[in-house]
Amino acid sequence: MEAFSVLLVDDEEEFLETLVKRLTKRKLDVTGVTSALDAIRVLKEKPVDIVVLDVKMPGMDGMEALRQIKSTSPDVEVIMLTGHANMEAAMQGMELGAFDYLMKPMDIDELLYKLQDAYKKKTLRELAR
Amino acid sequence: MPRLGEVFRKIAFWKRSEGHEAVDAEALRTAFKARYHSFKLLLNANNKALEIMSEMETALRGSRPFSMSFVRANSTAVGVNVFRIIKHLDELAPERYQNLFDRFRDIQDQINGVLSKRTIPRGDRLVLPFAEIDKDKADLVGSKMANIGEVKNRLKLKVPGGFVVTSAGYQRFFEANELQNEIDRRLQASEADELDQYYALSADIQQLIIRSRVPEDLEREILDAYRALEEEAGEKEVRVSVRSSALGEDAADTSFAGQYRSELNVSPDYLIDAYKDIVASKYSLQAVAYRHSRGILDEDISMCVGCMVMVNAVAGGVIYSRNPLNIRDDSVIINAVWGLPKSVVDGSVAPDTFIISRREPLSVVHKDIKVKDYKFVCYQDEGVCRLDLTGEGRELPSIRDEEAIELARIALQLEDYYGTPQDVEWAIDGEGEIYVLQCRPLKQTEVAEKAYGRSHDAAGRESLLLEGGETASAGVACAPAFVLRKNSDALQFPKGAVLVTAQALPRWAALLNRAAAVVTEQGSVAGHLANVAREFGVPALFGVAGATAALETDQEVTVDADGLRIYRGRIESLLGQEAPKKNLMEGSPVHEVLREVIQHIVPLYLLDPDSTEFRPRNCRTMHDITRFCHEKSVQEMFSFGKDHHFSERASKQLYCDVPMQWWFINLDDGFKEDVPGKFVLLDNIVSIPVLALWEGINAVPWEGPPPMDARGFMAVLLEASANPALDPSMPSHYTNRNYFMISKNFCSLSSRFGFHFSTVETLVGDRAHENYISFQFKGGAADYQRRLRRAQFVASLLEEYGFRVEVKDDGVFARMEGFDEEFMKARLRMLGYLLMHTRQLDMIMANDAAYHHHRSKMMQDIDAIINPNLATVEHAAAH
Repeated sequence: MEAFSVLLVDDEEEFLETLVKRLTKRKLDVTGVTSALDAIRVLKEKPVDIVVLDVKMPGMDGMEALRQIKSTSPDVEVIMLTGHANMEAAMQGMELGAFDYLMKPMDIDELLYKLQDAYKKKTLRELAR
Repeated sequence: MPRLGEVFRKIAFWKRSEGHEAVDAEALRTAFKARYHSFKLLLNANNKALEIMSEMETALRGSRPFSMSFVRANSTAVGVNVFRIIKHLDELAPERYQNLFDRFRDIQDQINGVLSKRTIPRGDRLVLPFAEIDKDKADLVGSKMANIGEVKNRLKLKVPGGFVVTSAGYQRFFEANELQNEIDRRLQASEADELDQYYALSADIQQLIIRSRVPEDLEREILDAYRALEEEAGEKEVRVSVRSSALGEDAADTSFAGQYRSELNVSPDYLIDAYKDIVASKYSLQAVAYRHSRGILDEDISMCVGCMVMVNAVAGGVIYSRNPLNIRDDSVIINAVWGLPKSVVDGSVAPDTFIISRREPLSVVHKDIKVKDYKFVCYQDEGVCRLDLTGEGRELPSIRDEEAIELARIALQLEDYYGTPQDVEWAIDGEGEIYVLQCRPLKQTEVAEKAYGRSHDAAGRESLLLEGGETASAGVACAPAFVLRKNSDALQFPKGAVLVTAQALPRWAALLNRAAAVVTEQGSVAGHLANVAREFGVPALFGVAGATAALETDQEVTVDADGLRIYRGRIESLLGQEAPKKNLMEGSPVHEVLREVIQHIVPLYLLDPDSTEFRPRNCRTMHDITRFCHEKSVQEMFSFGKDHHFSERASKQLYCDVPMQWWFINLDDGFKEDVPGKFVLLDNIVSIPVLALWEGINAVPWEGPPPMDARGFMAVLLEASANPALDPSMPSHYTNRNYFMISKNFCSLSSRFGFHFSTVETLVGDRAHENYISFQFKGGAADYQRRLRRAQFVASLLEEYGFRVEVKDDGVFARMEGFDEEFMKARLRMLGYLLMHTRQLDMIMANDAAYHHHRSKMMQDIDAIINPNLATVEHAAAH
């Protein structure tokens, strides 16, 4: 599958760094930021294909960030990420238009497949217009 | 931006407004691709949901330990996947099945209802002095401290002064620091299967607790209670022991002996820190692993903490009011050492043993006085120290016979009071006063016969490696040894090995749910490790001199804990005598929660898709929803090409010399090239699973009656065409179901040969963890009994080759997932073969001889089909 761009948003810096490194190795164009506000700012400057968003962050939380991202950049697919096995958050996220939901810590391949599926959905939707 | 659903609605609209006029083929192609993508994601979520359900069912059978977080995480995971399924179906058929969302929420609410039940401690006193405690306060002070209260206040036995920081105090501490949520999160997020992950998790959570502040009101109450102890003792700065008394600890069948930390000889300066340390030990590695393996809910354990004035012990130890290893032996057994009882409890010193007959007048019937290398005593300021014993004292009995009898009398009194055998910790101070430090119910093990000198056969004698020691937990096991020399070796401890170690330290208890047996050089059968080994039913042999030198890691050994012997290799004759392992989870609270939750998840009520009852509102469980969505999604995919008059995605008839009664719908990349007309040729099909099935279908000519020639398969296909249900021009219900839907990696086959109905759905590609095969088989022309027998027959074959199989009436449901491409292809060849060759079976099912003949013939065929290379070799060898 061709390379696509991913924005990772997570306040746990260590986790973020590892993930950026590992996804970059898999030939994706990856950017990492540590807050929802940074994410929104980055998206304005440089649109990406997929955002991976931690649900629980200090300041603006993932759910609010999802709302804003979906209203300003509706084409972006969002994958939610969290340590909580929280059904409500999962469903709320998907109802707000998130592509899917992953529980931390996840398998890197699982994330990669999820990213590919989300990207495919995005391309197909754009073709359908 | 238009949503996918809108695209489809638009297409539907064009269709209506412009009649059958062709719509832009490119738009249809794209729309179809998007649908197929949704369909794939739906199937993927469906597989995950089914996999998790099956895991939950396995757990319910109690074959392996699980925790509350297992139940919670899996319930959530099923929910998330079922929600995904509904969402993807909604993309395929926008708004057609809206009420599925409502059904889903109802079921989810029921599940949450079960999961959110929890116990709430009674009473609100943060701290209680011993004088106010009895067994009715167990929910506030934990059963260990409630017992101490009984012993002191009802039985009037001598117990040191003290107080308890209650479960209300614990809640106060946790709430003030918002600890429970954070801990739940960490437990949930961890994938603690491996020991090193347990280590990290346990350490993290303990640090979190130790760093938290005890709220002021609680701290004040603790220090006030301590002042009262000083006044009672009439001296300043009394030292106390601080011990856990967890709620749920020591419950009837679950002995938590020594799971948690206790601290001895604590000074007032350190009291609050010691309190936090004990609370944190709720998350010690042993305790987390123990709760996990026994299915004890984390939130059900409140840590009450008892503070007791320190006895400066001359001697101490443990009394068993009966023999813990033999239910028929009612002797009182006393283990005693010099100094504090600590070294008996942690198994670090082999203690003196006194056996006392309970017949009046009580008498010492047996004494075993050991050489005691060291003792534990209190430091002046704080803590305890180990003193090496050098003089002749080390060889002297640590208590006198009269004291032993007095101790036995106390144990009998406690047994009489509680009505069950007791395990009592005691100490004697400088003035000869005996203090009871704690008591709890003793669990006795049934030992059929003491197997001392059990005869062993010749093979046994020459493989004898070691002999001696004491039975710490009865039983026999065979496994590779693992010699544990240092702490860090524990991380490498493999599942199912024999744990061999010098000392029976309590910390090895965390390994017991992975160990086949335990062998130690030192340690007492009264210690914690022995207790836990008995509880888990893991055979354990303690006190085997030279075991760590004589046994090597990876060497296969048979441990006969009853016969006090260890053999090289596997001694079958002994293993036969092994007692069955018990279901550890049965009756535990978490098992109960899982059983209740599963009621809303696993049972399948929507069985018949042809019934008028097959509707969203009749979905009672998560499984019903998945079943419904799966059925509908397949229909939605199938009807697209037809509904939209889109030839490329309509069904194509297979053409092999003649038109065959097989139709293919190309979902994506299943054909080498698109075909415009009605037919597709076999060599235009590039679907990996279809080709594998095909190979199996054609592998062995069908021999059954009626006799067939080498082109048997063709004959079958032609024969099949005699069935009007297979004719696509007939508006039969089954017409729509006799087809292959394919892509390069996917295939969904519904086939009907005569009266046999089978479906194969499979995904085979390089994402091994997404690969799966689902196979269903049903029907037949024979009478019901024979059909049942045939179902069993097919099921047994499938199980033989690694499928997970369920038989319902005359239907067989088999699944397999997660293997790599080559493995899956081999299994598909096998299914192709079965599709062809099970038809004949009804006819022979009445005859046992024919049954067995066919079974072995079919197994041979299948082996050859699964592994063609091997078969060639064997074939060549035979010539």
